[in-house]
Amino acid sequence: MSPDELGQLAGLAVLGLTAGFLAGLLGIGGGVLLVPAMVLIFGFDQHVAQGTSLLVIIPSAVLGSYTHQRNGRLVVRDAALLAAGGVIGAVLGGVFALSIDDVLLRKLFAVFLLLTAVRILWPRARRNDAPAAETAGE
Amino acid sequence: MSAREPAGVAGPAQVPLRASFLSLAAVGAAAGLLSGLFGVGGGILMVPALVLSIGFRQHRAQAASLAAIIPIATVGALVFGRAGSVDLAAAAVLAAGSLLGVQAGARAMHRLSDQRLSWIFGTFLIVVALAMLIR
Repeated sequence: MSPDELGQLAGLAVLGLTAGFLAGLLGIGGGVLLVPAMVLIFGFDQHVAQGTSLLVIIPSAVLGSYTHQRNGRLVVRDAALLAAGGVIGAVLGGVFALSIDDVLLRKLFAVFLLLTAVRILWPRARRNDAPAAETAGE
Repeated sequence: MSAREPAGVAGPAQVPLRASFLSLAAVGAAAGLLSGLFGVGGGILMVPALVLSIGFRQHRAQAASLAAIIPIATVGALVFGRAGSVDLAAAAVLAAGSLLGVQAGARAMHRLSDQRLSWIFGTFLIVVALAMLIR
């Protein structure tokens, strides 16, 4: 193994550490940081970055879920129903992603991130408009 | 209303909101589609959808989302792996780093309020999106 390859693996370990911390903090899988970093910093193809990201996400999600569960935040029924629809969507989304060009996929990814960011910073007003949904049954 | 729920209130009897089968499965399907399409977990869609559309509190939404990501990402990784689009060596190193980081992150989350988590979540995504577009 060459020094370059070792250096890249060391860099990937640091990236993993950072992504894992944010995943645990934000309750996401961390892929949203992993994919851009693998592409922008480490020069991965978009497709390989995405496939690798999905694999990396799994153990982090398992550990993070265990921690939430121990802290009494996890409602198993919620997760099971989300997953029931989720696995079907994952197959469809993956097959489609593999069918399109690498550069196009990267551009789509960037747009997806921007839309997501805008949408998440928006909800404050809507939340205040609809306090009933937030407090129902509490 | 206190800013923080007391410990040990999450038993089934205390779970306030019982979301419908269809609404949860639909949110999951949309998240799965995004997950397979973009190689992310799908929490980015699930957490806001659960909070805004179904009315979950931020912490409950994040816990459910993270657990649902396990089967969703597994299926997605299999689809990409069959096409040769998974780098196993990179995945092993990234995963090792992630496992060390995720515990610290989850612990830090318990010290943050719901509002602050939303703010951090949104700001974090803006930064990543801009980095991708600047390239």
